[in-house]
Amino acid sequence: MSERLEVRVLKRLPGFTLDVAWTAGDGVAVLFGPSGAGKTLTLQCLAGLLRPDAGRIVVDGRVLFDADGVDVPPQGRRVGYVFQGYALFPHLTVAGNVGFGLRDRPRAEREARTTRVLDRLGLAAFASRLPRELSGGQRQRVALGRALATDPALLLLDEPLSALDAPLRHSLRDELRTILRDWGTAAVLVTHDVTEAYRLADRIVVYDGGRVVQAAPRSELLWQPASESVARIMGIRNVLHGVVVKATPDRIQLRWRGQLLEAVNSPTRSYLPPPESPIAFFVRPEYVRLIRKDRGSADPDHHMNLMAGTVVSDEDFGTRWSLKIRLDVPGEPAQGDHDLEVEVPHLVYEILEIDRDRRWQFSIHRGSIHVLPA
Amino acid sequence: MLSPEILDALALSLRVAVLATALNALVGIPLAYALARRRFPGKALVDLAVTLPLVLPPTVTGYYLIVLLGRRGWLGAPLYAATGWTIAFTWYAAVVAATVMALPLLVRTARAAIESVDRDLEKAAYTLGRSEWRTMLEVTLPLARNGILAGLVLAFARALGEFGATLMLAGNIPGRTATVPLAIYTAVQTGESGVALALVAILTVLSCVVLVAAGRLGARAT
Repeated sequence: MSERLEVRVLKRLPGFTLDVAWTAGDGVAVLFGPSGAGKTLTLQCLAGLLRPDAGRIVVDGRVLFDADGVDVPPQGRRVGYVFQGYALFPHLTVAGNVGFGLRDRPRAEREARTTRVLDRLGLAAFASRLPRELSGGQRQRVALGRALATDPALLLLDEPLSALDAPLRHSLRDELRTILRDWGTAAVLVTHDVTEAYRLADRIVVYDGGRVVQAAPRSELLWQPASESVARIMGIRNVLHGVVVKATPDRIQLRWRGQLLEAVNSPTRSYLPPPESPIAFFVRPEYVRLIRKDRGSADPDHHMNLMAGTVVSDEDFGTRWSLKIRLDVPGEPAQGDHDLEVEVPHLVYEILEIDRDRRWQFSIHRGSIHVLPA
Repeated sequence: MLSPEILDALALSLRVAVLATALNALVGIPLAYALARRRFPGKALVDLAVTLPLVLPPTVTGYYLIVLLGRRGWLGAPLYAATGWTIAFTWYAAVVAATVMALPLLVRTARAAIESVDRDLEKAAYTLGRSEWRTMLEVTLPLARNGILAGLVLAFARALGEFGATLMLAGNIPGRTATVPLAIYTAVQTGESGVALALVAILTVLSCVVLVAAGRLGARAT
């Protein structure tokens, strides 16, 4: 295995067990999951601040921990750590903080290196300020600079944006992304925010209750969550339950709310549940097509998975509208007062006059119905 | 007005308090760090032993010091057998008594200050290559500085005012072990109210100065 990072950690704590194994290559691996899932504990094990009970940690072929007797102390790991809240030394200047990891080097080299890092991060003007005199964004850059100045083999970031206000978070998220790409250091970043995970990750490792429920490249995770629980942790909407009618390696037919739906079976892991077994699937709200009434009646051959329903409520999210649609069929709706959540851009909402016209036909392409293996 | 006996007592008291404070710094700061940050066997016992003088009557603490350091004490007897010298009834005894009585004030204050330093800062220092020893010197202690200084000021004040334990171990020998509080006691007993008043005034003013200083440091500690 030539992965840059191999992690296998077992750590028993009172009332909680962390038992995870995953690998990552170049770029940014994001540990994603709810609070208390064991993400920060994993970082502490990687940094050598917490000793696992069992397992093995390898970075770039160098064994940092092995239950059979290797346990490199944090001082010798060459692992940079950006703490939640940054943990800048309040009694040292920006330059003092950034140069802190370089104190064993010759003075000239230390100063040159510190200056270079400050320049690169746009902090040169703040070199002699104290951390308390900086803005949130500047603090984040100092924390990054302090960790990167020692040229670590691996960079760890624990909820690097959680200390910031919402508007700042967005711009700093992109800034952080640029810095990480620019520096090229392999990084492991912890977050419980889906958008942050998607924006920053090359690979996403989903944590839940001290275990890894899925580890996959970002794009794969977006379209193929491994299970219903992963889909829920990722905040995927329209997770629905139906019954299998017929499954082949290419297609799965299923029954849901009295409709016969056809979905594409996942090509990578053909899933062949027997007929009449329950099945979970999801439909992204932005992939439901409303059918225009001014273009003649809908053609069942052209419009797959055709259904009819009523908009029971809608919400404005600034650039798009979210519509809650209830199917025109008897029985309990699938999600409380509605069956499907559908998203349309503002322009579409206005052109179709959805605020006035509440009854719609819509269709879902078979490729947009994603089956979740049980 | 300032008779030789007053000046003697004052000089002795200052010397004893300064030395006791220095000893406190030497013993108390490492002890406070260990209690705040490390786990070691017998930690609870050490904590108890250091704190006990705060609540015991000073005469009881003094009694234990005699048992330990007196001419026939656990440590005092072998010392006497080897050198023919005993610490009892010397001014060194006053320093020891003041040190022990002041130690809980320093250790408790310094420990609280060290415990209030964010542990992530220490962890950050470790990941940046600093040993625990250098992290203590470069991060923990500098950040706990004001709390430690406040503790030292309180320890100094306590050492300056020590009476009971000093009386037990060092006695009350004018010019040799009679510190200001002991001299006040003697002066009142012998009816020298002028001497008593002068010493009381001096000690009160000194203590006020010290408390204000400690308060300022304490306020800056947070």
